[in-house]
Amino acid sequence: MNRKNKSYQDRQSEPPRWAERLLARITAPHIREETLGDLYELFQKRAQRYGYTQARLLYVLEMLLLLHPRLWRKQDQSIHLYPEPTSYLQPNPTAMLSNYVKIALRKLNRHKSYTLINVVSLSLGIACAILIFTLVKYHLSFDTFHANQDRIYRIYTELHTEKVTYSTGVPNPMGEAFKRGYNVAEEVGRIGFLKDRVVAVSPEKKFKEDVAFADPDFLRIFNFPLIEGSSQTALQDRNTALITDRIAKKYFGDKDPIGQLLHIDNSLVVKITGVLQNLPATTDFRTEIYLPFSNLQDHSPWMVEKDWWLGFNKEMQCFIRLKPNVSAAVVDSRILPAISDKYYDKENAKHFRFKLQPLSDVHFNPSLRGYTEKKNLWTFALIGFFLIVTACVNFINLATAQALGRSREIGVRKALGSQRGALFWQFITETALIAGIALVIALGLAYLAIPFVNRWFDIELILNPFTDTYLLTFLLGLLLIVIFCSGAYPGLILARFQPVLALKGKLSQRSIGGFSLRKGLVVTQFAISQLLIIGTLIITNQLRYSQLADMGFRKDAIVILPIPDNQKSKINTLGAQLSELAGVENVTFFDSPPATEFLASTGIRFDSRPKNESFNISYKTGDYQFVPTFKIPILAGRNLNPSDTVREYLLNETAVKSLGLASLHDVIGKPATINGKLGTIVGVMKDFHFKSFRTAIEPLCLTTRSEIYNSCGIKVNPANLEVTLAGFEKAWTAMYPSSVYTYRFLDEEIDRLYKLDNMLLRLIQAFAAIAIFVSCLGLYGLVSFMATQKTKEIGVRKVLGASTSGILWLFGKEFSRLLLVAFMLAAPLAWWIMDRWLTNFVYRIELGAGIFILAILITFLVALLTVGFQSMKAALMNPIKTLRTE
Amino acid sequence: MKGTQLGEFEEIVLLTIALLYDDAYGVAVVEALSERLERPMSLGVVHRTMQRLEEKGLVRSRFSEPIAERGGRSKRLFTITLAGEQSLQEARRIRNELWEAIPKTAFDHLT
Repeated sequence: MNRKNKSYQDRQSEPPRWAERLLARITAPHIREETLGDLYELFQKRAQRYGYTQARLLYVLEMLLLLHPRLWRKQDQSIHLYPEPTSYLQPNPTAMLSNYVKIALRKLNRHKSYTLINVVSLSLGIACAILIFTLVKYHLSFDTFHANQDRIYRIYTELHTEKVTYSTGVPNPMGEAFKRGYNVAEEVGRIGFLKDRVVAVSPEKKFKEDVAFADPDFLRIFNFPLIEGSSQTALQDRNTALITDRIAKKYFGDKDPIGQLLHIDNSLVVKITGVLQNLPATTDFRTEIYLPFSNLQDHSPWMVEKDWWLGFNKEMQCFIRLKPNVSAAVVDSRILPAISDKYYDKENAKHFRFKLQPLSDVHFNPSLRGYTEKKNLWTFALIGFFLIVTACVNFINLATAQALGRSREIGVRKALGSQRGALFWQFITETALIAGIALVIALGLAYLAIPFVNRWFDIELILNPFTDTYLLTFLLGLLLIVIFCSGAYPGLILARFQPVLALKGKLSQRSIGGFSLRKGLVVTQFAISQLLIIGTLIITNQLRYSQLADMGFRKDAIVILPIPDNQKSKINTLGAQLSELAGVENVTFFDSPPATEFLASTGIRFDSRPKNESFNISYKTGDYQFVPTFKIPILAGRNLNPSDTVREYLLNETAVKSLGLASLHDVIGKPATINGKLGTIVGVMKDFHFKSFRTAIEPLCLTTRSEIYNSCGIKVNPANLEVTLAGFEKAWTAMYPSSVYTYRFLDEEIDRLYKLDNMLLRLIQAFAAIAIFVSCLGLYGLVSFMATQKTKEIGVRKVLGASTSGILWLFGKEFSRLLLVAFMLAAPLAWWIMDRWLTNFVYRIELGAGIFILAILITFLVALLTVGFQSMKAALMNPIKTLRTE
Repeated sequence: MKGTQLGEFEEIVLLTIALLYDDAYGVAVVEALSERLERPMSLGVVHRTMQRLEEKGLVRSRFSEPIAERGGRSKRLFTITLAGEQSLQEARRIRNELWEAIPKTAFDHLT
């Protein structure tokens, strides 16, 4: 028999399934079993007698005859003969809650120091967590408000020479080439950023502002809404401008800004045609004045030399929004290489490579001038987590230590029938109360701290848990986690007490168990503190090393003035005037100070070699006074001769080495073509750090080229500085009446290279201090409990002749041991983490034992101070007092 | 409790339960009744009667072990209670009294 027939047979020998199901559904549960069973039995019997078909018919008939209200009526409780004894045992889950809260409040009120320590440490921990959360969220939300932001990309340049260098800029024709040649982008917007331009309404009312020259597409890609003017025509016509509301208020007050004229750098007069809404805090586009891209030609023609594919400027950027179904990977792997191949000769096509950078990466990619790496944010998040852990550990330690004091209460409760679950929840209620209070205080603290954090980081954090749902969710989540992490373990311990032992008061420290766990927790706390201390020490040392180290040139007492107009005659006159002032030792003009974050680099062809060298050389210009002003030692040859155009070059040692020459003297007098200009190498400078200590010294050349000088460096005599500076201002303003006078000191400028590190340092210092404080609070609480518990033991010991120092050691040895264990854990971890951080710096301190020893000494000292007072008190107590009651 | 008055059909079912003694459940009662009354009985009627009897406290019930022929389901086995026996006796007494009260001549004219 085949399978199909068999299954048919099977189905035949069963009652109709639909009827059975229907019946099972409508029949009241208490009679379902026998009803279905009886029907089944009848069916089988009838099937034997009359056959299956008839039996099935009878089954349905029987079922119809069963239909009666009785079939589905629920079992009547009142007439049931043997009611189940369940009705009166239904517990009311909230009935005990008010009791729990009452008991908790009483207890917190009675043990004030316990409550205080817990609330203070928890609120400090939570406050830090809130701040860190806000900070991390702030950075993650950068430029996320643009429509379709996942399709917005920046094209960037990779320059493949010996090593790869990255630039946010692209050659000027890139935007057009991309738009014309390939149909993958919805919008292509070129934009040129120019910093510190003089923007004036009238000769009196002028400020320095950042301006940007942008294609109209730029405003279609990015979501910067206009509040006045039309977005259709914005940035279309030449000599128009868009400004933000803030700038409008700054220049025009309450007047209508539309139609007003602005003078940009004396070279451009533009009419305002639109007002943009003020920029949100979370965008990296900080420019507030936008001009049409076509005007860039009039303002800075050198930035837009037509079809100049061989140069790029980090401020000349190109943003695109891809069409929805185009993947960035395809653009990266096909289209952009195709552009390289099309517009460059074979050799250069290898060097110039272009890639897409997603908008979400712009804020976080330091190699493309992003603000910070995401890594740093996660470091902060980790520190926040550590602080919460420290606070929770305190709570657990104190609560378990204190559990012994509540043994009677637990005993009575258990004897009266409390179950484990109930006791556990009672303790959780107590924890929730403390954590709730701490959360409120923490919010207050964070609110007070926000202005300081904003000032430190130069950012605009806002803290409002009522409008910020993320923050609210975070707070609730944090609260729950804190409650359960810190409440669960002590709660379980309490609930586990044996009622008889608890009532007899026979529970000892040992029977509440977990002393080893508490030790482990204390070790964790100390390890976290030490980790932070070591981190702080190392960062401090490295930064001090960077800032005090000899960079290879003179940087103190040097004032830097901007040069808005580098006409030869003006520079010469100004230079002469400045040199005559009292207190001025040297005056030099250059394009960038000796150390800067970014420096352009270019190709070099040396002597009679047929090809360009495989490395790029960094390019710095300065007049013949540059070397003496900054006291850069000349190792071979001589300094540059006075000149306004490129005639002579100075190289640094690294450049000579890269050229593959054995002696420094081999380059002297040889011709070299750098940046396309032929000149003679006249000398070799000693290597100096022309970037920050993060990077190694690279090949560098220095030459004279007055057309791109933009700053003036003056070595002054620090005595009578006020007068000298006043003299500068007078001379400078006389020369450039339409510009805004500013000055800065070179050493401040150099410190700015380490701005982010300094902020990091200050933050970690603050967090380390809080972590130490919190763990000390915990330690203090723990020692106080130990002292009260050991009063009798100490009394007996004293009677038997123990000395005070012996008793102090009783306390000390325990904690010293824990501290050492913590150190064993923290030191290697800290070494590993900080070693990785230090690899960011090419010139760095070595990790010596000194820092680690210092760290453990600091922790020891702090722990000693904390433990000392309580143990002293315990040790000095008169044994008569403690033993008399026995 | 509802009225303890024993209906006609209830009496017969109750008697059958007593008769079947240790194996009084739905199908057995239906079969016994169909046989004796010589007419087909529906399960629904018998079920409802036995439920009513239980509510009146005249029988009590328990479940048997699950049985394969019933598709793995249990029987609900009924046993008569003391109250059940009393009401049966009562019904019988009334009947007997009625029989005895019938005059001897009452049936004579029929023959």
